[in-house]
Amino acid sequence: MSVFNRNERDTGTASPAATASEMPSRPPVTEARPAPPPIQTASAVAQRTHSVSVISKALKITGQLESTEDIQIDGEIDGDVRGVSVKVGSNAKIKGTVYGQEVELAGTVDGRIEAKKVVLTSTAHMSGDVVHQDIRIDSGAFIDGHCKPDYGKTPAAKASVTTATRSAEKANGSAQPA
Amino acid sequence: MSALARLVGLKAPPEHKADALPVSHLGPGVAITGILDCEGALHVHGLVRGRINTDRLVVGLDGFVEGDVVAREVVVEGRLLGRIFGHTVTLDASANVTGRVFHHIVTVVKGAQFEGRMPWRPLNFFESLDQLPEGQA
Repeated sequence: MSVFNRNERDTGTASPAATASEMPSRPPVTEARPAPPPIQTASAVAQRTHSVSVISKALKITGQLESTEDIQIDGEIDGDVRGVSVKVGSNAKIKGTVYGQEVELAGTVDGRIEAKKVVLTSTAHMSGDVVHQDIRIDSGAFIDGHCKPDYGKTPAAKASVTTATRSAEKANGSAQPA
Repeated sequence: MSALARLVGLKAPPEHKADALPVSHLGPGVAITGILDCEGALHVHGLVRGRINTDRLVVGLDGFVEGDVVAREVVVEGRLLGRIFGHTVTLDASANVTGRVFHHIVTVVKGAQFEGRMPWRPLNFFESLDQLPEGQA
């Protein structure tokens, strides 16, 4: 017998008992393998806990912030903010212009707000002009600046007007190819 | 107090601090150009162009950071272009990093794409990181 297959006889004779004793214990191990709890990366956890973007109170941004989704600001921003729905928390400080569809201010803005819908809550501190189409000012809010209604000048309003006229033309049946 | 206990005691506070502070979360639709100073955790799933100073930075799967990062702990799952100055740096399997990674402890998961250099630095290098060394990324 060669050196290479001398172990084969041992396994052949001695293994039946060993494999029989191992058999019952093996399957549970192999079954448990394919189903480990799904590994949750930090980002997956974060995405579940936050549906909106959050600038926490510990974060200070110097520069420009642009967002195509809802954003909650509790920190400090030195620069412009462009968002869709922007909520400025009571401890937040913004130095610059806030653009958006909806802006809810509970903190401090030193600059300008340009939005379709503006809400100044009782803790708001607004130094600068507010350009709006729809505004709500709660009792206690501080404003040092002008509130300017702006109808039809913002791109969003223009778009809604044009679509409204188009749909009206279609309804009248007078829509002619230009 | 044993040396080990003292070490653990020293290490514990910053981690608790990071946990207590709220997490800043920048979603996929967010783009920031400028400097971010943060005293807690920062999760980036959007675009950041500029400098980031934070305790803990996580660049998510769809995140993209272009610029220098200074943090105690850095986890990259997305793309990063620039320099990292981190005590503990982890490049996840989905990471795509180009630049230099100055680290004390580094983990590179199998599958991560990395192009550049990974210089090791002693602890005191990170403690005295007020002024970033200039040079090519």
